[in-house]
Amino acid sequence: MIQTIAFYLFATLVIASAALTIVARNPVHSVLWLILSFFNAAGLMVLVGAEFIAMLLVIVYVGAVAVLFLFVVMMLDIDFAELRAGYAQYLPFGVLLVLVLSAEMIFAVSAWSAGGIALSASVAPVPEGVPNIEALGTLIYTRYLFIFEGAGLVLLVAMIGAIVLTHRTRSGTRPQNVSQQVKRRPQDAVRKIDQPVGQGMDL
Amino acid sequence: MIGLQHYLFVSAVLFALGVFGIFLNRKNVIIILMAIELILLSVNINFVAFSAYLGDLVGQVFAMFVLTVAAGEAAIGLAILVIYFRGRGTIAVDDINRMKG
Amino acid sequence: MASVAAGYLPILLFLGVALALSTAFVLLPMLVSKATGSSNPYADKLAEYECGFPAFEDSRAQFDVRFYLVAILFIIFDLEAAFLYPWAVSLGAIGFGGWLAMMIFLAELTLGFVYAWKKGALEWE
Repeated sequence: MIQTIAFYLFATLVIASAALTIVARNPVHSVLWLILSFFNAAGLMVLVGAEFIAMLLVIVYVGAVAVLFLFVVMMLDIDFAELRAGYAQYLPFGVLLVLVLSAEMIFAVSAWSAGGIALSASVAPVPEGVPNIEALGTLIYTRYLFIFEGAGLVLLVAMIGAIVLTHRTRSGTRPQNVSQQVKRRPQDAVRKIDQPVGQGMDL
Repeated sequence: MIGLQHYLFVSAVLFALGVFGIFLNRKNVIIILMAIELILLSVNINFVAFSAYLGDLVGQVFAMFVLTVAAGEAAIGLAILVIYFRGRGTIAVDDINRMKG
Repeated sequence: MASVAAGYLPILLFLGVALALSTAFVLLPMLVSKATGSSNPYADKLAEYECGFPAFEDSRAQFDVRFYLVAILFIIFDLEAAFLYPWAVSLGAIGFGGWLAMMIFLAELTLGFVYAWKKGALEWE
């Protein structure tokens, strides 16, 4: 009962906030609606028992990706009013396309309800009495090892690509050189002299 | 009782909203990237729902990899957006077809 | 399936209480000010100002691009940490192969980290 109520709550909020993401005038609001959408999707995933994916969704999407979007929105000085100029122009075609698309998908889903669905062979059945995260770990690091390494490569390429694209070496800056500072000795900087009275200073 | 069909319906609507967002904000790349994130989220909901209702964990494993790729895609997409803005002073996508070579 | 979700029921209740409380804190002062007649907005009161002057520019301050690079590196290492959790809890079951796989994964990302370091992406000034 509570599960049903929670499902409808989360599902409604996911769809409503996704709709507001794409129609919001201010892109900062868009990002905030996107965050709400991800939160509720995480709730949907908890309801079917995928705890780890839900946690990942909150940590990675809400904690990092959405913040990255916010950074970019705040960083660039963009005239957002100008970008909405063609809004009404694209609307009819977009509505038409979406109607066709969702009609197709809903037909497909309803067609499925005509009969049952079952896997002919289950690759990795959900083990009983093992926490979700442990079962996932056992699967990723044995059976899907190479895909996991591939994911590592994707992350590496993303990191290097982002640095190559956005990093500029600035000229004229004077960065702190820690090793030079540490290597500096008193005799390089300070000289003791015995200055006689009544004579000029000789440097 | 909530069945697989309910989840598929939510994910279908989310996917359609993502596609609609791309068409609606054709000039604003930031919103387009967010719409792509929505599409990937709907894919993830599908993966997880099928995984739970068919009792097979592989769907959740692949949802994890989709998440990884989505994060990489957002990082690179926004990096391209930043350097494009630096060169042009705007992020209107209509002009990108002039970018040759 | 239902048992896992049932474990999260307290969190759902907690969220509900938090939502109700925050709604009350926002709406009650508004209702009270309406009811007592002290709500009297006019143009000068609603105008934004800084130190007595009208605002000179958009309140959205601009960031530097260097923040963006740090944010990207944060995403990458966030995901790396996320992959470490299932590895850590299932280390007993996956054996040496799984351990080695994670070490290779960490080495890949350390390579990227060394690149970022050498390139000066972490330098501030």
